[in-house]
Amino acid sequence: MNDKPDAASDVSASAPRTSGLGWEEFSLEVVDFFASIKLAMFLFIVLAMTATIGTVIQQGERPETYVQEYGEEAYRWFLRLGFTDVYHTWWFTSLLGLLCVNSLTCFHKRFPSVWRSMRQDKVSVSLAFIQGMKQQTTLSLNQSRDAVAERLVKLFAEKGYRVLAKSDPGEVTVYATKGIMGRVGAHVAHLSATVIVLGGLLGSYYGFQEFGVCLEGQTYHIPRGNFDLRVDKFWIDYHENGSVKSYNSTLTVIDQGTPTTTKTITVNDPLVYKGIWFYQSSYGDAWDQIEAARINVKEKGSDKIIATVDLEWNKEKAVDGLPLKMKMTDFVADFAFNSTEKKVFSKTAEHANPAIRLAVDERSSVQSTPWVFYHYPDLFEIKDSAYQFEFIGYQPKKFTGLQIARNPGINMVWIGCTMLVVGMTLSSLIYHRRLWAKIIPGESGITLHLGGTTHKSQIDFQKEFRKLTEKIHAQAQS
Amino acid sequence: MMRSLFLFDMTFWLYLAALGLYVAYLFAKRPAMQMVPAGHPIEDLEERDGAWATQLGQVATLVTVFGWVLNTVALTTRAFERMEHSGTFAPWSNQFEAMAYVSWAIILGYVLLEFRYRIKAVGAFVVGIGFIAMGAASLLPYRYQTAEPLVPALNSYWIYIHVSVTLTSYAAFAMAGGLGLMYLFKERVVNRGSQSRFYAAFPDLETIDELGYKAIMLGFPLLAFGIILGAMWANYAWGGYWSWDPKETWSLIVWLIYGAYIHARMTRGWEGHKAAIYAIFGFLMVIFCFWGVNFLLSGLHAYA
Ligand code: HEM
Repeated sequence: MNDKPDAASDVSASAPRTSGLGWEEFSLEVVDFFASIKLAMFLFIVLAMTATIGTVIQQGERPETYVQEYGEEAYRWFLRLGFTDVYHTWWFTSLLGLLCVNSLTCFHKRFPSVWRSMRQDKVSVSLAFIQGMKQQTTLSLNQSRDAVAERLVKLFAEKGYRVLAKSDPGEVTVYATKGIMGRVGAHVAHLSATVIVLGGLLGSYYGFQEFGVCLEGQTYHIPRGNFDLRVDKFWIDYHENGSVKSYNSTLTVIDQGTPTTTKTITVNDPLVYKGIWFYQSSYGDAWDQIEAARINVKEKGSDKIIATVDLEWNKEKAVDGLPLKMKMTDFVADFAFNSTEKKVFSKTAEHANPAIRLAVDERSSVQSTPWVFYHYPDLFEIKDSAYQFEFIGYQPKKFTGLQIARNPGINMVWIGCTMLVVGMTLSSLIYHRRLWAKIIPGESGITLHLGGTTHKSQIDFQKEFRKLTEKIHAQAQS
Repeated sequence: MMRSLFLFDMTFWLYLAALGLYVAYLFAKRPAMQMVPAGHPIEDLEERDGAWATQLGQVATLVTVFGWVLNTVALTTRAFERMEHSGTFAPWSNQFEAMAYVSWAIILGYVLLEFRYRIKAVGAFVVGIGFIAMGAASLLPYRYQTAEPLVPALNSYWIYIHVSVTLTSYAAFAMAGGLGLMYLFKERVVNRGSQSRFYAAFPDLETIDELGYKAIMLGFPLLAFGIILGAMWANYAWGGYWSWDPKETWSLIVWLIYGAYIHARMTRGWEGHKAAIYAIFGFLMVIFCFWGVNFLLSGLHAYA
């Protein structure tokens, strides 16, 4: 701090220390180190610099991605330094921790003096102290000591200052102060950093975040909350020009077997139940189910289409005019076959190679369950069958992507954020000002020494000081 | 064609005119003690010159205020156009609108500063930045300038407050950057000892320095508030208040940079020259956060 009165009120902080290298000495050194503004500046800058890393290098990608883009040698260094997940490395977290320690120590060291000057103040100061101030003036007034003192007290009080006066034999000292809340605000901001970080830690240790892919009409168990969630409905709203306006899911919570809450969630409007939040996060086409499929039935010999059938999911349908019943029992979006388990599965969630499985019942004699492919119509032939089946179109089933999260630290984070905003706003709008006036009687009238300091905002204070001086002068003339 | 685009265009030209007038004002203003060729009556020249400069200054202010009013009308018109197309009012929903809003805020800040402190010379720098912001906006391709509907995640009442608060903090930092530049200009002549006439209207160094500090002390809490509002929004939209995506990380970086600045000012030697350079550096970082992240790192950011 470079303004003098602060040094004056910080006397206790720099009280004479006992000599020698005792424990006391050492702990004072430690406090000084951790409370130093230099350390704070260092931490701010280093945090800013290291935080850029994660915005340039993609975070949490698969190793191949890094090797491809940066080469193997670089990737090894990335791993060593934690550049693939910078914000969770031990060193980044330590920097944040150090910032907390720093601001707490700062609070510990400096807040007491702010607190003290809220309750009691040094009224009497020396004349030299006033004359050494940046804003100071001397007026000669042709009036009595007490009249001037009284007027000063009234003037300062009118301007919102808290005023204390002290009458010594001969001279009177008037002290006025305003805006200490600005400094309290700064210290509230200092405490907030730790509150936010603790809230964040709480959330990352005791909270969870999961992603759920849910289909309309299904009920899902939520083990972490020990209740069930039913997806009643999912739909998409569009703008006139065809772009997506919003997507929505109607969800019902079923607790102990009874439906308790129903809410339609949409982006920016989640459902909250027992501390668990359900967010509408995304949507897409399901990879293991479709709404409906369209099948061409062809006569094997002539290759002529003799019927086109629309099948609904898992519903048997008799084909008009033919001795044929069909059902669609399975769907995979990206066909793959596991030869050891003899099982069909979907390789990815993309609709890269869609296929359905039919259950075909021909004249109650031929029964088969062939897979038919959207992209490869002639892949398989059903023996003994009179028909060939062609999968020519389908209507995908939309899934709704739900983000499911609980964060027990969130309220603490919001409390910290409120402290931060309130504290910073106070410290930005209000500044701490102090005025001292010494009224010294002379041969004719008195001499008034007026001095003032401000924590910051020199130009505003200068203006205020000038106006005050003018006013005192004007009042003395009238 | 949208009516607002025409109004934004007009605003741009008015800001250009205002900038020109402020620069002219600087040139017209005479130093208080002017050496006059012998034989000329000093008083007359001084007076005529002074009146001329004062008039220029008044016109500059008038044009600026008028431009700002037009800017306001343009943003309001855009708000109604948005309402018709996408059901949200916020006229700061894409890069173009955001730029137009930032220049609105910068000019408003400047006008307030001028009325409060009666310093016109700042206009040549700060109105300049407002003008550049407006100009850069109008250089964006047309498809960025129209009021396309918002993607669902952005379509929320959070956009009103989160975006406007953050952009206002950018405007405050722009103001500080302009003042920093002005400080360096003035400092050069002061150091050279030559009181060239161009600098006659400049306030003294200490005032420029203080004003810059004030601007940052305004921007710093605003940015914090903006970031926090963004976190609250993310918590509502995505189920996590902080996910270290490039945009939010960069706004935090900018905030940390200014955090270092306000604390540095409490230590000796961080006023004046150093602070001015730092304010300019900080403003460059703001520009990167505002533009660079959207256009350079956009591959990583979902809503560039
Ligand atoms: C962690 C985040 C921090 C935030 C958000 C923060 C914020 C602030 C703010 C807003 C002010 C008021 C500035 C002014 O009045 O011009 C301030 C003042 C101050 N800060 Fe910080 N600060 C932080 C960390 C620190 C740290 C780590 C230190 C360690 C030395 C520190 C030391 C100080 C001091 C000494 C003051 C002056 C206090 C007074 O007026 O009595 N700050 N801080």
